[in-house]
Amino acid sequence: MDKGLIQQKLDNTFLRRALKNFAAAYPVARAKAFEGMDFEELRGRISDFKEGGLEQLPALVEQFTASAEKAGARVHLCTTPDDANRTILEIIRSKNADFLVKSKAMTSEEIELNHYLEKNGVSCLETDLGEWIIQLAGERPSHMVMPAIHKNKEEVAELFSRETGRECPPDIPSLVQTAREALRSGFLTGQVGMSGANVAMADSGTLAIITNEGNGRLVTTLPRTHIALVGVEKIVPSLTEALDVIEILPKNATGQKITSYVSFIKGPTGGDGRELHIVLLDNGRLRLAADPAFREALKCVKCGACANVCPIYELVGGHVFGHIYVGGIGLVLTPFFHGFDKAEEILKLCIGCRKCNEICAARIDIEGLIVDLRDKIRKPFGQKFLFGTLMKNRKLFHAALRTAYLAQKPFQGAGGRIRHLPLVLNRETANRSLPPIAEKPFRDLILEKPESRVPDSLGPVHGSGSREKVLFYSGCLADFVYPEMCQDTVTSLEKLGYTVTFPQNQTCCGIPARYSGEMEVARDMARINTDVLLKEDADYVVTICPTCTMSLKHDFGKLLADEPVYAEKARRLAEKTFNFSELAARKAGSRAQTPGLKTQTPGLKTQTPGLKDPGPEKTGETVTYHDACHLKRGCGVHEEPRKVLRELAGVEIAEMEDCDKCCGFGGSYSIKYPEISQEVLKNKLETIAATGAKTVAVDCPGCKLQIEGGLEAAGSPVKVEHSATLVAKMIG
Amino acid sequence: MVELFQIAAEAVGAVVKRFTTLSDAAGYVTSAVGAATVAAPDLPPAVRRVLPELTLAAPADFAVAGAGISVARAGIAATGSLLLELSDPTDRSATALPPVHLVFLDATTIVPTLADLAGLLAENLNRPAPVYLSLTTGPSRTADIERVLTIGVHGPKELHILMMEGDATWTRD
Repeated sequence: MDKGLIQQKLDNTFLRRALKNFAAAYPVARAKAFEGMDFEELRGRISDFKEGGLEQLPALVEQFTASAEKAGARVHLCTTPDDANRTILEIIRSKNADFLVKSKAMTSEEIELNHYLEKNGVSCLETDLGEWIIQLAGERPSHMVMPAIHKNKEEVAELFSRETGRECPPDIPSLVQTAREALRSGFLTGQVGMSGANVAMADSGTLAIITNEGNGRLVTTLPRTHIALVGVEKIVPSLTEALDVIEILPKNATGQKITSYVSFIKGPTGGDGRELHIVLLDNGRLRLAADPAFREALKCVKCGACANVCPIYELVGGHVFGHIYVGGIGLVLTPFFHGFDKAEEILKLCIGCRKCNEICAARIDIEGLIVDLRDKIRKPFGQKFLFGTLMKNRKLFHAALRTAYLAQKPFQGAGGRIRHLPLVLNRETANRSLPPIAEKPFRDLILEKPESRVPDSLGPVHGSGSREKVLFYSGCLADFVYPEMCQDTVTSLEKLGYTVTFPQNQTCCGIPARYSGEMEVARDMARINTDVLLKEDADYVVTICPTCTMSLKHDFGKLLADEPVYAEKARRLAEKTFNFSELAARKAGSRAQTPGLKTQTPGLKTQTPGLKDPGPEKTGETVTYHDACHLKRGCGVHEEPRKVLRELAGVEIAEMEDCDKCCGFGGSYSIKYPEISQEVLKNKLETIAATGAKTVAVDCPGCKLQIEGGLEAAGSPVKVEHSATLVAKMIG
Repeated sequence: MVELFQIAAEAVGAVVKRFTTLSDAAGYVTSAVGAATVAAPDLPPAVRRVLPELTLAAPADFAVAGAGISVARAGIAATGSLLLELSDPTDRSATALPPVHLVFLDATTIVPTLADLAGLLAENLNRPAPVYLSLTTGPSRTADIERVLTIGVHGPKELHILMMEGDATWTRD
């Protein structure tokens, strides 16, 4: 991605303010719009019928075509953008027309219709206010629903003044009035009108169009010929499904319960001389619908919510974060609609926080698709050695990390921080920031403390009788950078009644490779770790890095799905893998049974039924909690860490605003896009400071690294601690 | 249900007036329209009888008419929406071009949610003839410049809902 363009957007104060204000206002409006509704249920239904529809898309296209033609419409299925452009031109020419009046259609942007028609002597008028603004500016939409969100009123006033030939003041109501007056004659004289459609119903051949301004109704009413340009994936079986889309779309898009207008159009209305042409656009959709790995992308209803919540979009806008379709789903659709060359750079812009997955109206795994698509793009120079040779060999990889400890020494103290271990070893990034790798990794330290691995040394267990056995999977970052965090984990788990073992042959979880599109390497890592972690008989595998948890729990199964033996192993591993806070939280309700746990009633070791749990001593400390993206949205864990902090670490929690918003780390992202990463971090630091807490609790070594780095650089005394450390402090 | 409808409709900027007699409603129309010409190509005979003084605009002049008048087929309480059947483009223009849109609504046709309207929608869409249905919720709006909500872009700037709580069988004529 063009670094100059990124910086330009980051420096654009209007854009930054506009997007930030929107990011703050959107969730409030959205929550209100969904009040009393079950969002999960609704989007689950949408996901299901969209999935079902895609599996039989050719049949739906056929059915829709037959129904619409029966109602008098003419349906044109167009394979390529060229076909669609040509077909539309022919329709316009057949009416002896040279002027097309349009309401908003992203499909028209997709095929660059205006450009084609103008070249062929047909003038086009965009009548959606936002689209008109960007048409006058000669730009493309920066948001699917609010195309001109990047333009301020002064810029709009200038464009309108130039267009109308009279001075337009930068006053929004008066600018809107100017648009109303200026575009009126377009509606009244347009010979052919064009719209998109938000949903199409196969059984009746009806189109539904969801709009606010009223231009959609005018372009489908005043001109005698109406062309609707519709992506084939918009076809659903019937009205029942269409109503679900109409229900969810405005709420998710702009936080409106419903838009001002929803029009249902079946056939050409108005009698003789009236025509309705439905141009169904394929442009790769039918092939994509037949591809089980990526077809999910076509479930999109184009609400734009994935952009609304994206922390990167919030900083750089849609002209950087997307091509024609923007936001998370824009990244996914671009390679299929516009080719991989257009997608290569933008696919790297996703930080992987999964906010989009949480909000998607069709429950698409947007982030997962982005990661899978990276496998298909060209890899940067040097990456092959790093992942292909180094990472695949654990001993070599770990030896390199040990060497890095020595290599970093002359550079330490200057604030140079590690961003992501494997990539630090990459020549391209090594000179940017060297990691504060610990002198001794945890894997060495634990060998020096053999007693901690002998269950008998821990004293008797009350209650359950026997200790459950836990294999500790630390993850590279904690192992080599935060060995004390690993120690604290072992201490806490042992005090909570578990036996902890650290398998020495564990290696990188493979996420850095997967995120860099090196699927084969990721597969190797999955096999190695699966073998290592299933070799010993244990009740649980516990991790302290949510990215590792996600990898072990979800990605291994996906990566190894085609290898029956490993797929089964991955399933078994997934079943017993938990994040530290999940396992610790199980003991929160029965702390009094835990030996060594300080309670308010010293000496009380066994829990009497009916006796109120005395709870731990309160430290009196107040912490604020940052939800790691991969813990909350990758593993669905967000209550447990709070329970652990309150009940086991004995602290109060002062919640920060946007507690589950990304900190900007994103593994190697912070090295590839430090300028973006730092801006995301800035927001996080502000919300932390606003709580007044002196400690930020996290459950992720990556978040600790990032937030700690930011706080240190800002000279803040606020500390960042992993929950395991806070628990160990209390009960250790 | 009527109250819920009113709250929802007013929340999106519609004016809701409740009437028990058609003549009261007619009085409101007269005061709202004033001397302006009116786009009302599909007015039920009963309304025309009580509003003999209305100056009706010809379809070609709808763009300069002061108001449009129509009759809703149903209402949705949850969102304050109106269902209009506008399969004739002239009827559609009357609700789309003038700056003010007045709509009669029989209070007994209000349903709780969009889903409850499915039957009526399907009934219309499953007829063999071409059809154009319009769900209208509040006046025309935009937030395309700096996300500032502005009422009245290309469609009506004002939406007046005349809710009939007495006998309103005439709305189906």
